[in-house]
Amino acid sequence: MSEGKKYTFYPGCSSQASATHLDKSLRAVAPKLGIELEEIDDWNCCGASVGHVEGGTLPQAALSGRNLAKARQQGSNDVLTACAACYLNTHGVNEKIKNDVRTKKRVNEALGAAGLAYEGDLKVRHACEVLVNDVGMEKIKQQVTNPLTGLKVAGYVGCQTVRPFAATDAGGDYDTYDQPEFLDDFVEACGAEALDYDPKTSCCGGSVSVHSPDKTLHLIKKIVEAAVNAGADVIATPCPLCQQNVEMYQDAINKKFGTNFNIPVVFYSQLMAVAFGMDANKDAALDRNMIEPLKLVELAKKTPK
Amino acid sequence: MDATATTAAPAGARTYDLNFARWVYRNVEGGDRISLCMQCGMCSGSCPIGTAMDQGPRKLFMMIRAGMKEAVLTSNTIWNCTQCYNCVVRCPRQIPVTNILQGLATVAVQEGYAPKQPTARFSKAFWFSVTRFGRTDERLVTAFYYFSYGLMEGVRRGLQNLPIALRMVKSRRMHLGAPHRVKGAADLRAVLAKAEEIEARDAGREGRP
Repeated sequence: MSEGKKYTFYPGCSSQASATHLDKSLRAVAPKLGIELEEIDDWNCCGASVGHVEGGTLPQAALSGRNLAKARQQGSNDVLTACAACYLNTHGVNEKIKNDVRTKKRVNEALGAAGLAYEGDLKVRHACEVLVNDVGMEKIKQQVTNPLTGLKVAGYVGCQTVRPFAATDAGGDYDTYDQPEFLDDFVEACGAEALDYDPKTSCCGGSVSVHSPDKTLHLIKKIVEAAVNAGADVIATPCPLCQQNVEMYQDAINKKFGTNFNIPVVFYSQLMAVAFGMDANKDAALDRNMIEPLKLVELAKKTPK
Repeated sequence: MDATATTAAPAGARTYDLNFARWVYRNVEGGDRISLCMQCGMCSGSCPIGTAMDQGPRKLFMMIRAGMKEAVLTSNTIWNCTQCYNCVVRCPRQIPVTNILQGLATVAVQEGYAPKQPTARFSKAFWFSVTRFGRTDERLVTAFYYFSYGLMEGVRRGLQNLPIALRMVKSRRMHLGAPHRVKGAADLRAVLAKAEEIEARDAGREGRP
């Protein structure tokens, strides 16, 4: 296998709070897959899916502009992010700077206030796309020392990881936005069983679920219900907001719809950490799931140390 | 006799502003593509939260073209969008529907049409954290948002969500202690202030509806 490849890493705000388990597990498995991550120095928030409302369109774009300018100062390695919203904003602004002279000019005029500039010569990539195109399933399989035999997984991709960029050249052209297969491929590479799961790219309500769950609980119910009906032990997802919404609102759904859901929701990288024989908590961060993924915890104990 | 004097719109009639469409085409990102909309309804039909939309994107775009500024900027369609991008990838005319709804939300706030909208309140709390610390402090954003409804309502919402908050603390996914902040927060604020200034300047140059 070739030497590791270096990426400039944008962890995003959720990596320091609600999605520490994605951050921890991704950083744990990355070296095993030949991915070297160098954090963007002093990165800031991308504005997520709500910043533009209060802040305005250009200030929202300037947030990503600053991150990109800082990343460029560190070199010309591809920028990698694991968060759907971070990817959508950073990649979206990057493409606009590349393709739209007016945006490039205005963002740079704003960046000038801090002595920064960005020409649009970086590539922004989602961690999953890098795993598919740069690492490849074979290399993932080679790292598996503790296959997740018998674990039934409902692969829930969500929206912004694949929409709107997945099927475009600029988005790495790695999968489709209606029937993505990469997540099921990860699951099976880890030795688990990827179930047929219909709401694979259904919407969890995104930030609307965060501030007005009354409007969107029925959307999350559909996602959870299909996984339970398919006999899943866990739901796996790549998206921090999906993970949080689908996990934390199960009690509210039970209350509203008279159901009895209590299914764990984990990140693909947590599955990989366990399958790679790494530590259940230190690496896979299984102790950071609100609903304990019992079967995965059991599998982690089997690890030959 | 001046015929127009007797044909003034009756009180209560919907106000139409025919410059609105032109303004949206020019100023809302992707807005120029609205003129390509053929009213097929793929967007509204693909919407996961369509049943909660008063108009849906298809109808909203026709209303924009008809110049129904007030009805557009007070429509819940721009607030209920979950940004799933189904409509964007499926639109046969490649209209960036989600991005246009985002742009309209920004305009609605700037023009004072949406002071009480949950999304606008949430965004205000969010933007406070971004400009102050350079990062999102989920805990503070949530608290600011709850208390934007007043003290009593803030307490009520806080208590209602306490079980979730406690589980977040227990699983060590709620950051406790001082907010994470970027070292260059002052620089970031300068960039954001400049961006705001550029936007205001260009809007002045390009005209308001």
